Amino acid sequence: MSASASAAHDTGHQLEQNKFWIFVQIAMLLAVITGLELVTVYMPFVRWLLFSVLVVLSTVKFLFVIFYFMHLRWDRLFCTILFFIGLVLAGGTMWALLKLFGANASKPLTMAMMEPPAAAMRAV
Amino acid sequence: MSSNAAAGTIDHHFDPTTTTGIPNKKLLMWAFLASDCMFFGCLISTHLIYRLHPPPGTPQARQVFSIELTSFSTFILLMSSLMMALAVNAIQKGNLKNMRWSLLTTIFFGCIFLGCQVYEFRNFVYESHLTITNSILGTTFFTLTGTHGLHVLIGVIWLSGMLLYSFTGRLTEKQAIDVESMGLYWHFVDIVWIVIFTAVYLLEYI
Repeated sequence: MSASASAAHDTGHQLEQNKFWIFVQIAMLLAVITGLELVTVYMPFVRWLLFSVLVVLSTVKFLFVIFYFMHLRWDRLFCTILFFIGLVLAGGTMWALLKLFGANASKPLTMAMMEPPAAAMRAV
Repeated sequence: MSSNAAAGTIDHHFDPTTTTGIPNKKLLMWAFLASDCMFFGCLISTHLIYRLHPPPGTPQARQVFSIELTSFSTFILLMSSLMMALAVNAIQKGNLKNMRWSLLTTIFFGCIFLGCQVYEFRNFVYESHLTITNSILGTTFFTLTGTHGLHVLIGVIWLSGMLLYSFTGRLTEKQAIDVESMGLYWHFVDIVWIVIFTAVYLLEYI
């Protein structure tokens, strides 16, 4: 029992030592991804592809920060569940609003749309 | 994990006194961050909605924004997040000196970010004539980034307070949860900026 407890303690200590280098490496990776995002917007590709690449890169950065810097990887699962509840609600709300206001009926009226046809005016 | 507690070391990821095993301060912070997600989600949604069908006469965002400055401030905020993680790591090992240096660097980077925001806002108002009241782009942009900037300012003040508190001799490895909770808030501010950088700035350039 004491040998296994000692081994668990050593493993935990090793993890704490390694965390420093894990954080530094992740920070470098995040900087590289930010650079990639900046380059991506100037690429001569179709809009939907650029949009997808940006979303993927941002999501990768987001996940690295929450799972490593915010310690979700090493914490209890309940913390992850709690945060993702808020995240899913926020994401769902965003999606619903964008779908609703992306419809043609949501386009703002222009002056040309609001002016009555000339023929109708003459008839009056 | 409990064997570590028996050996005298503190397990910073497990609290046996709570029913969930999660320290109450950490649980409170995660619950708050989950709610703040929804808050920023609404602000970001509002901005994106009005970018879908901008009213006539809306300024061209691409001509107003400076992507170079924003990329620099994004990098600075990411590095501040690294320093915050290292500060938490240091206090969890009982290394107060390293924690103080890491906190100081985090505060420094946070102030640089705020300075960049102030410079950017002044540029938008006085050079590009984009204000919070004269166009829908200005309203949504300044509300969203201004709210985020306010969160960063609160974070910087909190970090400064924690740094000063560390000199009273009352901050030890046992109180690492306080620094960790503050770290969670700071990292959240960073991840919100990751989303804002993409949704508000980068999407205007594709």
